[in-house]
Amino acid sequence: MSIKKSEIEHLCNLSKLNLDEEEQSIFLSQMQSILEMIKELEGVDTGEIAPMAHPLQMSQRLREDEITEFNERDKYQKNTDFAEDGFYKVPKVID
Amino acid sequence: MKRHTVRELQDMIADQSVSSDEVYQLYLNRIKAMNDSINAFISIESDETSSGTEENDSEIKGVPYALKDIFCSEGDKTTCGSKMLSNFVSPYDATVVKNLRKKGTIILGKTNMDEFAMGSSNETSFYGNVLNPWDTERTPGGSSGGSAAAVAAGMAPIALGTDTGGSIRQPAALTGITGLKPTYGRCSRYGMIAFASSLDQAGILSISAEDAAIFLEHMAGYDHKDSTSSMEEVPKYTEFLNDNLSGKVVGLPKEFFDGSLDSKYQGLVSDSIHEYEKMGIKFKDISLPNIKYSVPTYYVVAPAECSSNLARYDGVRFGHRSSDDSDLDAFYKKTRKEGFGQEVKRRIITGTYVLSAGYYDAYYLKAQKVRQLINQDFLNAFKEVDVIMGPTTQQSAFKLGEKVDDPVSMYMNDIYTISSNLSGVPAISHPIGFVDDLPFGMQVIAPHFMEHDLLNIVHKYQMVTDWHLQIPGICRELDR
Repeated sequence: MSIKKSEIEHLCNLSKLNLDEEEQSIFLSQMQSILEMIKELEGVDTGEIAPMAHPLQMSQRLREDEITEFNERDKYQKNTDFAEDGFYKVPKVID
Repeated sequence: MKRHTVRELQDMIADQSVSSDEVYQLYLNRIKAMNDSINAFISIESDETSSGTEENDSEIKGVPYALKDIFCSEGDKTTCGSKMLSNFVSPYDATVVKNLRKKGTIILGKTNMDEFAMGSSNETSFYGNVLNPWDTERTPGGSSGGSAAAVAAGMAPIALGTDTGGSIRQPAALTGITGLKPTYGRCSRYGMIAFASSLDQAGILSISAEDAAIFLEHMAGYDHKDSTSSMEEVPKYTEFLNDNLSGKVVGLPKEFFDGSLDSKYQGLVSDSIHEYEKMGIKFKDISLPNIKYSVPTYYVVAPAECSSNLARYDGVRFGHRSSDDSDLDAFYKKTRKEGFGQEVKRRIITGTYVLSAGYYDAYYLKAQKVRQLINQDFLNAFKEVDVIMGPTTQQSAFKLGEKVDDPVSMYMNDIYTISSNLSGVPAISHPIGFVDDLPFGMQVIAPHFMEHDLLNIVHKYQMVTDWHLQIPGICRELDR
């Protein structure tokens, strides 16, 4: 099991994350050792075992369809300097 | 310098020998005197904003506490140890904070932590690492290192932390205090910045188990804003503290005692077992055969959930925003490159890898199946024993910088603590002695929702020992 530099570049694209050359080469060797460690799981017999997604056996609860929360847009938009008329500003996406 | 427990502060406030304002000022002065040497706090809250809506009959009214900077507290900066959130102001309270605020507790400040709780030494914080009060060349552990150091150094009587793979118990062990990770779902996760949602749990770092019992009663409970929080009734934990331990059966997993623990630590573990035997506890050797897969399982599941949770940091609605806005894709990538530190970036990349097409079954699904086996090990063990004990860590506090370039060696720090998070069971670490003037901790693990058993056991131990009351030398120097 090994990971190539081109795969790191692909993963950066999938996770919308730029890495510089130095970070890429550090990550390449560090991820190699992490994957080596994870490889240990290959040998475990998990034939009939159901995957565990959640620590407690519980089902999703539903509530009455009543309004309990109100729009607090103005309060939340105080966390950016790039809101205008209730909208968030982003770089231009269409020409 | 004297470190007061929450119990002592309650009594002092109740008999009016001190006012809650005086208590607050005392801790504020200690923080101001010591924070430059320890770096435990990222921000200190001002009196006005942190005072709670006081319930007059609350038993913890006026008790101040330190809050890990991962919890939202309305109107306060909440950085999560990251540059990404360096300008983020919480618009609301986390539910656990709200619960404590209603009882009249006071937030002293927000404590330093590994970035997004990813780390075991506090060295991944954007705000500089926390220093261990017992030896400032060493780590206090992580990720709740600021909370641990604050309590150990008497800068706060008690603190909140979070534990995803050992982030409360490991720093508690390395700083000589008590650290409780409750059952998954016992406390609401609402307003607690998410790292790995199926593992994260809020908990307490305190001087004593009694203090943890007092606070947990007020923090825990069902919250309709967290669908994974439990409706299981919250017991009055303090009422169980003095229960007789005679006849309790404790399991010692052979996998925790496989010879890898240095003999100097093994001696302390044996001494504490002997102390427990004197209380009538019986010990039994057990096996958790799949526990050896805990670390690899965790390092698939946690990064996978992290890569998904941290997708929200896009620079648009809050947090760091790149000034390069030539096009949207480049803007996202640059914002995240600038805002996240290396550990976080590597976990996002690892998580994206194990979830990506062609690898999902081999890594993520496989890890979730092994997780089930680890969980089964615990369920089987608890048919035979009431609780499980073992060391919290393999060594006492290590030197800063010692493991920072080797992630796998850093990850092995959590070898004894991770399995409780995978299974969701509660666990507590408590100090059991010193090696070379550094504290060492022992962990007790119980079945789901049996926190009262953990608190009872550790409280009884702390009634006949004084390891938890030892104070670091740096605090004594303050008085000179």
